[in-house]
Amino acid sequence: MPKHSIYKPSGFFRNSEKALADRTLQVALSRTTKTFLERRAAAVAEYPRFEGARERASRIRQEALDNLDAHLARFITEARNLGAVVHAARDGSEAREIAVRIAREEGVSLAVKSKSMVAEEVALNDALEAAGIEVVETDLGEYIIQLAGEAPSHLIAPAIHKTREEVSRLFEEKLGEPYTEEIPALTRIARRRLRDKFFSAQMGISGANFLCADTGSVVLVTNEGNGRMVTTLPRVHLVITGIDKVIPRLADLPVLMSLLSRSATGQALSSYVSVLTGAKRPGDAEGPERLHIILLDNGRTGILQGKYREILKCIRCGACLNVCPVFQSVGGHAYGWVYHGPVGSVLTPLLLGLPESSPLPDASTLCGACEEVCPVKIPLPGMLVELRADGRAQGLKSPAEVLGMKAFASVMSRAGILEAFQRMAGVVSQLLFKERKVEWLPFQLSGWTERRDFPAPAPQPFRKLWKKQRGIRPWTR
Amino acid sequence: MDPVRRTAELLDRVRAALRGRTVAEPGLPYVASREPGGAGSVQERIDLFRRKFEALGGTFLAGPAERVIPGLGELLRVEGVTALFFPEEDPASRQVADDLVPFGPFLLASPGDVVQAEPPVSAGIQSAEFAIAESGTIVQTSRGGKSLLPGLASDVHVALLAPDRFLNGMEDCLEALSADPPRNISLITGPSRTGDIELTLTVGVHGPRRVIAVLPLPAGHV
Repeated sequence: MPKHSIYKPSGFFRNSEKALADRTLQVALSRTTKTFLERRAAAVAEYPRFEGARERASRIRQEALDNLDAHLARFITEARNLGAVVHAARDGSEAREIAVRIAREEGVSLAVKSKSMVAEEVALNDALEAAGIEVVETDLGEYIIQLAGEAPSHLIAPAIHKTREEVSRLFEEKLGEPYTEEIPALTRIARRRLRDKFFSAQMGISGANFLCADTGSVVLVTNEGNGRMVTTLPRVHLVITGIDKVIPRLADLPVLMSLLSRSATGQALSSYVSVLTGAKRPGDAEGPERLHIILLDNGRTGILQGKYREILKCIRCGACLNVCPVFQSVGGHAYGWVYHGPVGSVLTPLLLGLPESSPLPDASTLCGACEEVCPVKIPLPGMLVELRADGRAQGLKSPAEVLGMKAFASVMSRAGILEAFQRMAGVVSQLLFKERKVEWLPFQLSGWTERRDFPAPAPQPFRKLWKKQRGIRPWTR
Repeated sequence: MDPVRRTAELLDRVRAALRGRTVAEPGLPYVASREPGGAGSVQERIDLFRRKFEALGGTFLAGPAERVIPGLGELLRVEGVTALFFPEEDPASRQVADDLVPFGPFLLASPGDVVQAEPPVSAGIQSAEFAIAESGTIVQTSRGGKSLLPGLASDVHVALLAPDRFLNGMEDCLEALSADPPRNISLITGPSRTGDIELTLTVGVHGPRRVIAVLPLPAGHV
């Protein structure tokens, strides 16, 4: 967990309350999530092969995971043959220790960094800075939140929670730049400020979107061009990435890219796709003399073994975040860790443990929109339900909640009892709730009415109306 | 612990996790099939590239040098370009830079002049390895010691194309390069852009704010 993060996954409900009360955040979220959805919808509409590509991409990712031992071994061999030093880290602590040792051995005092969620996952910046190494984020969004001392709030738009006014005040306060609400001017400030860093840094740090097993290549996708500079200009390139990023073949890249760009930003193809194969070779004009690749496990082999393997198919496009009504309302910080939205609600409990993050599987309406947009067809709602059951099995649900759900299941699985309840509720509702709304419920049910009214039960339940319309006798099941 | 031992342990853990694996479906490993179709003739590929490239905000100039160079010079002047640079080992880009000087004022700069905190407004000129029609993408690689700086650190990127380097899709590009991939394959699709502040599209973040593709054609070509 980065030291600047003030949130915890276990505090999701408290975090959400803060987010809902934060008017600036609500403005920022309303401006951005709608745009994300519109851009993705337009990009998908003009690509009739999208559904076919989803099927192919899903199979490629599944194959990669089902045979990860072979593909990972091939990647390691090929990358080493091309001069890369490939490291393996069992957990975040090992990853930090390896990265700090590399930086020290390579004589690094300044590192420029391209956006990496895995680096966030292991709190890499904190470890390097503690070792006296300056780390400068170069993705505009990451640069903004680094200056602000905050954590990213979206997989691909890390400063989505900040308005232009906030960014400008930040640049004024931290950089001494004149206040402007012009976004191009703010962007030019970042370009000017970061340019010297690119050319003077000894080490570039990046993640990887994909690792190609057959060629030992690292694939990096950016729109700003910072990824190209980070991986080309400094004399050392450090890649930190999860073992789940392996794809069998370089030839698999086109179909995955056709989905990643459209799902993430609504582009047919991102501005810059870099396929990086090995370290600088004799005769190369530029490039890192030393290439280090840290392959992070950090619980991924455990996920691979179990019933949630498919979550490792994720290509981090962020589409499930944008479409999720919960994320749209509370933003990314409420999830309390690196991964947000539906994918975060599955990944975080699996990586940190359910006791650390038990509210997250409940942070979903189970509407199914996330599964519909997922470019690699991950059954996210099913996994969230499964995690809720795991939470109960691990004793993480209160006795009242368990009892309540048992009673609910008992009624819902017996049509006669359900109908009797509905009829009774209809009668009571007519007597007590003339305005057709319930403003207060007791005990565990109070959550439904704390912030909004609960709709009163209908005087005549749907089942009764249906039977009446079809001429079915009232108590027939 | 040394990296080789650590990676061996990692692979052991992965193998243990997959013990007793059930293959998702018969016939794996799955090999992705190629997309059918695509532009047929060279001219069709060039036309498709042009449409896609211009839709991304790129400028496509095709024609004999005596017509293209003045137009390119005008575009660069409008962008405020004062310095031109090119890879030393790329004679075609050097020729274009030399031809542009009279349409300046432009100075010929070395990459070293651009690699600084407050560089002049520059155009980086270089020959592209390929152009991908389906996406309007320019492909630059490090093959043969080619520099990547012109498309990396300039304000305006000028990519020189050749008719026989137009490909249909990314699949064709990777197939052509996969036997012995160069250290760096860069697929460049439009200018450097960001939406990180309120998702408002802004160009020229770290890389070029404008991309110009030039297709020189024989003298007298219309």
